[in-house]
Amino acid sequence: MAYAYLFKYIIIGDTGVGKSCLLLQFTDKRFQPVHDLTIGVEFGARMITIDGKQIKLQIWDTAGQESFRSITRSYYRGAAGALLVYDITRRDTFNHLTTWLEDARQHSNSNMVIMLIGNKSDLESRREVKKEEGEAFAREHGLIFMETSAKTASNVEEAFINTAKEIYEKIQEGVFDINNEANGIKIGPQHAATNSTLAGGQGGQQAGGGCC
Amino acid sequence: MFSRVRSAVASLVGGFMAGSSSSGERASGADLPMKFPYERPVFLGLSQDEVECSADHAARPILILKETKRLPWATGYAEVINAGKSAVNEDQACCEFMVVKKRPTGSFTPCKPSKRRSSLPNGEGHNLSESSMENAELVFHYWALFDGHAGSGAAIMASRLLQQHIVEQLQEIVDILQNPALLPPTVMGDDLDHTSTPCMPRALTRASSLRNSPCTAAPRFFTEKKIQHESLVIGALENAFKYMDAQIERERVVYNITGGCTALVVVFFLGKLYVANAGDSRAIIIKNGEIIPMSAEFTPESERQRLQFLGYMQPHLLGGEFTHLEFPRRVQRKEVGKKMLYRDFTMSGWAYKTIEDEDLRFPLIYGEGKKARVLATIGVTRGLGDHDLKVHDSNIYIKPFLSCFPEVRIYNLIQHEHGTDDVLVMGTDGLWDVLSNEEVTEYVTSFLANCNPDDLNRYTMAAQDVVMRARGTLRDRGWRITDDRLGSGDDISVYIIPLMYGNRQS
Repeated sequence: MAYAYLFKYIIIGDTGVGKSCLLLQFTDKRFQPVHDLTIGVEFGARMITIDGKQIKLQIWDTAGQESFRSITRSYYRGAAGALLVYDITRRDTFNHLTTWLEDARQHSNSNMVIMLIGNKSDLESRREVKKEEGEAFAREHGLIFMETSAKTASNVEEAFINTAKEIYEKIQEGVFDINNEANGIKIGPQHAATNSTLAGGQGGQQAGGGCC
Repeated sequence: MFSRVRSAVASLVGGFMAGSSSSGERASGADLPMKFPYERPVFLGLSQDEVECSADHAARPILILKETKRLPWATGYAEVINAGKSAVNEDQACCEFMVVKKRPTGSFTPCKPSKRRSSLPNGEGHNLSESSMENAELVFHYWALFDGHAGSGAAIMASRLLQQHIVEQLQEIVDILQNPALLPPTVMGDDLDHTSTPCMPRALTRASSLRNSPCTAAPRFFTEKKIQHESLVIGALENAFKYMDAQIERERVVYNITGGCTALVVVFFLGKLYVANAGDSRAIIIKNGEIIPMSAEFTPESERQRLQFLGYMQPHLLGGEFTHLEFPRRVQRKEVGKKMLYRDFTMSGWAYKTIEDEDLRFPLIYGEGKKARVLATIGVTRGLGDHDLKVHDSNIYIKPFLSCFPEVRIYNLIQHEHGTDDVLVMGTDGLWDVLSNEEVTEYVTSFLANCNPDDLNRYTMAAQDVVMRARGTLRDRGWRITDDRLGSGDDISVYIIPLMYGNRQS
């Protein structure tokens, strides 16, 4: 499929907060209650539309466990957006946000858009972190914020799409240098294409994305 | 010519000359259909999107087996793409459980992995003796790595088909291998009973035995070589490589099959591990922390004498532009007439010879270590494919100097006990270029020691860890590993195979 832009995302946060489930809900529109521990990196992709333009999201889902942190760190490179996820029913996952944020800031490009996500909003009865606390943390660190539920799909679309909107705005403002792939943005084979042909999309994508 | 070669040498990138793909792919070019589309190893089960994500030369994600996938023996696997030397990852891998059925006489049906594979992914519970009784079939486990160059066509094709060639070779000898008590007959179809016990009375003279033999078996003169069963398996593997290479040569006329590849194959068959290697990948066994090398690399340096001998015997292969002799450095025109150190195919030491005009030609083997090249083109001297590869901007073919024959080593697995941390490590040169056997052993051993022994992911996590250590992290001055050494910018693929499952099966 032809796209105008490709954005690379990375999903980070403590183990068990629901990173893989968020990705699965966004790409496959389904929820898997029991998910194996992610021990490396997994990928997802989906096309969205912003401002009438086709945008392809390439999403890297990472392992949350401390022992995989050194591997995860190398995956920030070239990400345009990050979803930093905590679990509203586990205070410790919220407390660790500072460490995650430091990691992200240190290993990514400075323009990376970070979306803070309080996941598992369906488990209101077990809530340990107030919504206001999430909002306050986001405000303090200049992040966008949403509470989501990968189980009910509440706000999941919005979380991914709002992040893309923010990146798209930065492109319009000229903040992102879209010709520098280190920013996690690639221009599609046919920028703002109206007559997308199948073959054109595939071939161009390979030429544009494969070689660097 | 010399300036041409010099510029070719200057443009060497990684393990291979960058410009060679254009000259090397001539008519088998892009017009022809693909034999197989580009893919990552089948067992990774990646979608097109995932393959695209994985080809990120900046972040270089380490791909591992998905949680839902399992390889036989809980084998661990991890891979990473190069740092930019080629658009796609040119390593390929294959891991399968294969069934060898006796071929019905006269018909030809290559044996595909049976459906049993899905219900018994580990091949466990497959009662060998029982099934062989009723069906005359044998089974083997197969792990393979292919490191492609100048295109991925040959590597992909070999990763899909080499195991079928092995099956075909073994089909011929199923009956013989099922009878471990009897030595293979020298002539097929002979009564097996006579092969191991010659019945010729000693007193009989050769002449009288010629006239009338008291035995029904063919008369036996002098001594006869005893061929062991495992030699038949080695022969089957060697021939499988030969037929694989021939198939690539044949089909490149009808399909777009680019480049060439190394091949490192491990087969667990009848209680033994057979490690067949053609190229510069490597396999080692780590047992109780001790290292047992299971392969040796084939490079211009390790195969110098074979290559020089070929150049000497068939000088036309050198196109009048190369000399088969080796000198410590390029010979200069002003040195003609002087005596200079050299060595020929007959020598491992050095001697002096008077320099002649012919010695000014470019050396057949030039460069040191990882930079050593045959015909200024290729740094690996065994493998599959490369039939169209030529010296840059010339008509000199490289293929005659490359050999597709593997060296096969055997590890008698079931004669040893193995613990959970005893493994066989297979890696492409991307791993071994930057880490020594000792370092890999240390990393793998200490990683596994810190893992839950019952965790089925432990070998994959160990493979991921060792790939990470070979890749390193991207700093200001490129990819760096421990002690600020350069990390590997090459494609890296690693299997970690726990050996205890071999004991359990047998």
